[in-house]
Amino acid sequence: MAEDFPVVGLDDDARQAVELLASHRLPGLIVTQADGSPCCVLPASQVVRFLVPSYVQDDPSLARVIDESLADRVADKLAGLTVRKLLPDEPREIPVVNHDDTILEIAAVMARLRSPLVVVMRDRHILGAVTASRLLELAVTPH
Amino acid sequence: MTVVAITVFVIAYVLIATEWTHKLLAVLGAAGVLFALGVTDSEHAFYSPDTGIDWNVVFLLFGMMVIVGVLRRTGVFEYVAIWAAKRAKGSPLRIMILLTLITAAASAFLDNVTTVLLLAPVTLLVCDRLGIDPVPFLIAEVMASNIGGAATLIGDPPNIIIGSKSGLTFNDFLLNLTPLVVIELVVFCLVLPWLFKGSFAVDPERVNDVMRLNEREAIEDRTLLIKSGVVLLFVFVGFVGRSFLGIEPSIVALLGAGVLVLISKVPTRHYMAAVEWQTLLFFAGLFVMVGALVKTGVIANLADRLGSVISGHALLATMLILVVSAVLSGVIDNIPYVATMSPVVLELTKGIADPGQAHALWWALAIGADFGGNATAVGASANVVVIGLALRAGSPISFWAFTRKGVVMTAITILVAAPYLWLRYFAFS
Repeated sequence: MAEDFPVVGLDDDARQAVELLASHRLPGLIVTQADGSPCCVLPASQVVRFLVPSYVQDDPSLARVIDESLADRVADKLAGLTVRKLLPDEPREIPVVNHDDTILEIAAVMARLRSPLVVVMRDRHILGAVTASRLLELAVTPH
Repeated sequence: MTVVAITVFVIAYVLIATEWTHKLLAVLGAAGVLFALGVTDSEHAFYSPDTGIDWNVVFLLFGMMVIVGVLRRTGVFEYVAIWAAKRAKGSPLRIMILLTLITAAASAFLDNVTTVLLLAPVTLLVCDRLGIDPVPFLIAEVMASNIGGAATLIGDPPNIIIGSKSGLTFNDFLLNLTPLVVIELVVFCLVLPWLFKGSFAVDPERVNDVMRLNEREAIEDRTLLIKSGVVLLFVFVGFVGRSFLGIEPSIVALLGAGVLVLISKVPTRHYMAAVEWQTLLFFAGLFVMVGALVKTGVIANLADRLGSVISGHALLATMLILVVSAVLSGVIDNIPYVATMSPVVLELTKGIADPGQAHALWWALAIGADFGGNATAVGASANVVVIGLALRAGSPISFWAFTRKGVVMTAITILVAAPYLWLRYFAFS
């Protein structure tokens, strides 16, 4: 069920991580600690949230007053940052499942943690990930 | 009963000041204990204007909150702020002065917290475009908000309480406090370059980023803007015309809110989201708490003792109220402070023959409480809100960074207010 999935480290370059997300149209990334164990899942929506200035989140009408050329520079904010800076302030539970878990068990973790993907583990090693779309594909495919 | 009323009041006050529990829990808990022990009852708490909930204050706040809930959807504040930044041609000092004046003017008619919530995001945008530190701008704005809020009866919750307890009208506030606020703002603008020295350097290339902001895009619905403007005008006329219309400000605000909701067709959830139920409940609990002190004679006793100390010296009383209010409002929430002091001041005014001088006591209370909110980072709700917004934007404002400027500004505003009160109500009377 698990598919190979890109993994980034906490101290990797944020811009490269976002380019990885963008080029593969991924719903998120698995972030690992220095020892290779999973640290968290970084959803693409969190990256978008990071890039949008807090004042625009507080007052969305301000997004309209900024012209296109200024808005295009929004990703400049990533320069010199690490993946660690992109993570939410509050640490979140890691969406992890075992390699032999059922679709329903995986769906339960995904729904509870509102994560776009879950990390599949076997013997403390990352096997890959199951994304929400992959899960739905498995759910609707006739057996 | 007197001892119980005082004990419950002191415990609740300590809980509010230390924030050991949520302030709403503190006042509602205190009100609950007072009901349970029979210190007050429904007759006194719900139906008596002297010992119970001041419904005029609660409904004036509710009406204005609904009006603001619709008004904020027009984008007019964003429009004006960006327009001002562009008129300032990107000069940080000029931008700061214009934004503080806009904030002060808005605060005179809207709740201070709402005003800073509306203007802080635009300020962060402008500073981001200019590549300058937004902290001095945010501090200056919240100070202007606390100063501007003193200008009218509806500008700051303490003024609403004072207006209701004293019987002073919207026009009385306009004639007596607005001129002082104008003077204070002139002084404030003169002090800004010194107070925030070193905060105005900008890369000339970044100025163009501000000039390219399009303020017209902030206004999405022109019809809503026009409707809101017309209703606001009528509400203002209602406040000013109280003496010949005979309608309480609370009724004017409720009618204005009702009409605006009907003609704007803004969904209920949007304008109701602007109603701060916690604040309204806080006021209700506070009035029950203070009402118990009035009912048990504590306030009359305290006023008697203060009256004998002051012994008819209205000027001494005015200056004492001004300074003590400014100091205490910097440390504790000025709303419970004014709610407690209003019945005391009411008693004190009864011993002063000259009505102008008696009113001076009320003005001193309003000025001290409103300006005192600038003294520390926790002196006013608007300060706390701005500090939270700054933190989210990655520009934290420490308690001392705020308080260092706040204490200076409070001292200046009180030093300006004291001679104003003396000259206007005592020197030539």
